Amino acid sequence: MTLLLQELIVGLATGAIYALIALGYTMVYGIIELINFAHGDIFMIGTLVSITIMNVMGITATSHPTGWTLISVLLVSCLGGMLVCAILGVVIERVAYRPLRNAPRLAPLISAIGVSLVLENVGLLWKGINYVSFPQIFPQINYNIGSITITSVNILVIVVSLVLMVALQWMVSNTRIGRAMRAVAQDREAAALMGVNVDRIIAITFFIGAALAGAAGFIYGLQYGSTIFYIGFQLGLIAFTAAVLGGIGNLVGAMLGGVLIGIIDALSSLIPDSNNGGFGLPHGGAAWHEAIIFAILILILVFRPSGLLGQQTPEKV
Amino acid sequence: MSMPVSASTLLPARETRPLLIKWTVALLVPLAVFTFIWSGEAIVNTTLLGFISPANSNYDTSTLIQLTIFILVFYAVVIAFAAYLIAVDTGRRTMLEVWLDILIFAVIPLLLVMEPQLGLIIGLALSALIWGIYFYVRNLVRKMAHVPPAPPLQNLTVLDTEQQAALVRRAVEGGFWFAVIFALLWLVVDLIFFFVGTLPAILLIWVALRTILLPVAGYFLGRLSGAIALRRVLPAKESKKNGNSANSSNDVLSKRHQLEVLSAARVREEAKDLVPNDLPLRSAGAQRFFLILLVVFLLFYPALDPILFGSGTNGRLAGYGDAGYYVILALGLNIVVGFAGLLDLGYVAFFAIGAYVWGMVGSTQLNYVFNIPFNASLMSWLFWPFIIIAALIAAMWGVLLGAPTLRLRGDYLAIVTLGFGEIVPIVFLEMDKFTNGANGIVGVQSPSFPGVFWSIITPMPYYYLILALIGLTIIANIRLRDSRLGRAWIAIREDEIAAASSGVNLVRTKLFAFAAGAFFSGVAGIYHAAKLGGVSPDNFSFGDSVIYLAMVVIGGIGNIPGVIVGALVVYAINEFILAQLDTLAADPSNFMHSVLISISHVFPGFTFGNIRNLIFGVVLILVMIFRPEGLIPSARRRRELRHGNDEEVEIGSLDVPPGAPDFEAEVHVE
Repeated sequence: MTLLLQELIVGLATGAIYALIALGYTMVYGIIELINFAHGDIFMIGTLVSITIMNVMGITATSHPTGWTLISVLLVSCLGGMLVCAILGVVIERVAYRPLRNAPRLAPLISAIGVSLVLENVGLLWKGINYVSFPQIFPQINYNIGSITITSVNILVIVVSLVLMVALQWMVSNTRIGRAMRAVAQDREAAALMGVNVDRIIAITFFIGAALAGAAGFIYGLQYGSTIFYIGFQLGLIAFTAAVLGGIGNLVGAMLGGVLIGIIDALSSLIPDSNNGGFGLPHGGAAWHEAIIFAILILILVFRPSGLLGQQTPEKV
Repeated sequence: MSMPVSASTLLPARETRPLLIKWTVALLVPLAVFTFIWSGEAIVNTTLLGFISPANSNYDTSTLIQLTIFILVFYAVVIAFAAYLIAVDTGRRTMLEVWLDILIFAVIPLLLVMEPQLGLIIGLALSALIWGIYFYVRNLVRKMAHVPPAPPLQNLTVLDTEQQAALVRRAVEGGFWFAVIFALLWLVVDLIFFFVGTLPAILLIWVALRTILLPVAGYFLGRLSGAIALRRVLPAKESKKNGNSANSSNDVLSKRHQLEVLSAARVREEAKDLVPNDLPLRSAGAQRFFLILLVVFLLFYPALDPILFGSGTNGRLAGYGDAGYYVILALGLNIVVGFAGLLDLGYVAFFAIGAYVWGMVGSTQLNYVFNIPFNASLMSWLFWPFIIIAALIAAMWGVLLGAPTLRLRGDYLAIVTLGFGEIVPIVFLEMDKFTNGANGIVGVQSPSFPGVFWSIITPMPYYYLILALIGLTIIANIRLRDSRLGRAWIAIREDEIAAASSGVNLVRTKLFAFAAGAFFSGVAGIYHAAKLGGVSPDNFSFGDSVIYLAMVVIGGIGNIPGVIVGALVVYAINEFILAQLDTLAADPSNFMHSVLISISHVFPGFTFGNIRNLIFGVVLILVMIFRPEGLIPSARRRRELRHGNDEEVEIGSLDVPPGAPDFEAEVHVE
């Protein structure tokens, strides 16, 4: 039971990161019905940008800043990562997706795969083929509640994600831009007729989604301590699965899906190794966690094609 | 159509002469480059000398026979092609235009390919680059000079009997005179060689014989070409069949009539089939000649290679054998993505299944798992039935994955296939009791065939195996595309709802597409396992699925020749060109070395092999933005994607007023 609760906490923190990335997928899909394959790689670029900013500010893997220095380093690298990613997102939309707005559906999808490959290789050329370590500057304090341990990083990760998600939810439901975004998502032409600048709203959507990916990159670095050029693709897939699980196009769904996937991910490592005899999977559940997540994705799509919170929309003719 | 052979019929008629000059020069230059500058003459002479004195020859009898067949077919096809071109050309394009095309598309590639520094792959890659630049410049010049596009309907003329006889006469004259000029040219060149002393005297008999035989052959090949050209003329309007003139709307419309009411874009396509033709080099008839040349070249390539490219045949053949299974994979994926329009991002899964089926059966792995002793040498015979069995197992998995998921909308389906593509390699990796896990399976049997020695170091049998498999795959693909099922796939791709309303069973049709795609992937998989002699779970990642998709997209979604070219292009970039650049850069004396050094200053650890995915990424984006229909698109696809100014049906061409009895029949031609 203790183990289960412990894994739940880990899962919650991981899930928060998945949820932040999933929000970007779901926003873009909601507004232009495109699986933005490059989104995971934007997240990866975010991790690398955060590291670079820290290095520029004189922080290395061994330094332990305190007080205002710590806060300013955290804030600057987080916001800097968000800003770079946001601009990257807008540029990608402008270069690779906007020219294909009216092309057959396959075209932007393939273009997105192309962008993903390009970004991955940019990361490779930039930081090399090995893992890059993320300075662990946030003080590591363990809080023990009963027999489970919660680390300060876990709490930070969950709090930052929660704040961003609430802010996004407020923005989408309460501001003029949010209303315009919902209008464009519902019916692009009608929104344009009502005076919404569709191109600008789509660009803003990419801006916000990519900024969230940048933030996710920053807190991922804090949580796991290292990054590599190909994590974007794997994490992106899992985050996309989270978005689909929650019902794609639905913000609350993406958050819920992210957290659920994080928990499933953590719990799957509890499955015993069947090579030791008895119930389980060969080499234990951890080796299978991706397969488990994708199997769950397939099952969800088979039985509830629009996800947990999504609405079944009839296909437009 | 039989004509007496007399001096007057063989002298070219006045109106034939410009055409004769145009096409003789156009074809003779590349032919002369091939024969005299490259290895054509060498092939002929080695073959003859091999037959005259077998003891001194480097080649065994079967190679000599292959070379003989190649020589005969090659020169016969070229002469017949010349006759065909002279016969069918309307003469509307000027000589210089045609010669420039020939220079860019035939002479330059020949010169590049024969350059020993470059070789076949790099030579073709450079030629492709030149072609791209040529197209760009030509379009630019045309735009600047305001050259209007040729009106499409010009060559839709119905030939009467007299004109048809003239067509055949032109073909005969063309074939005869082309052969005469070629024979004389060869005679002069050989005499020079003889006096220089490089031609053995014994071959002078052959020179004399050839100079007489070529014109005779040219005459008969010309008649053959004439007959071929006649089969492509526009048939005259058929007379009423039942004589019931009152019921005129039931008449079969003439082909010409049909073409006149089609849109300009359609007519331009249809006009390719017809004789006479404005662009004879691009006509459907000419494509047959190219196809024959290509097939002959591919069939006898292992025999030709040492003469054409020198030593290292085995290495090159092995490389081409590997390119082959990419072609099969691309063709299989084309069924799913190109024909049925279902995006499959996990295609590698079926490839892995096919490879693992043979990996398990064709090695000692099953002994090890089930403790049953198998005789490994007998297992290798099982390869042949297992081509089908492995493919069927892959197809079965396609159905198993497809059955529950195919009702999903496009993007969701893509994600499900992607998930499947990620799960399958994990399963093979982690179920190490059966699959030997991360180490993969080694010692997989090669196929067996009586009288053929198969091993990893003799690539020739694999070359022919993959050639046969590709041939069968292409035939199957063409038959599938043109079948009722294939048309249903295309209907689904265009509009699912409309297709369903027209009675297409969506789920069944999509399932067949999935199964067919997986089937060919399984074929490629079993070949891969047998060729490599092993299976490793590392070879089946999402990156591979993306590469297969890139092949289909870059080549031209839905178009079989386009997809084949796409597969070869991507394979060449992937395996040859970047690797070649790295080899060049490793040599300090080479220019590329300094380029690499300067790049490494900015990006430590940079190699050209490293950036191949970057290149694919950029290419995918560029192709999608600037040429979404691919390099060699299918005509239908191009019309869909480029529907713009030229797609309107010209109302003026409907020469029957609405309401008239003919009108109904006319508007229903499509």
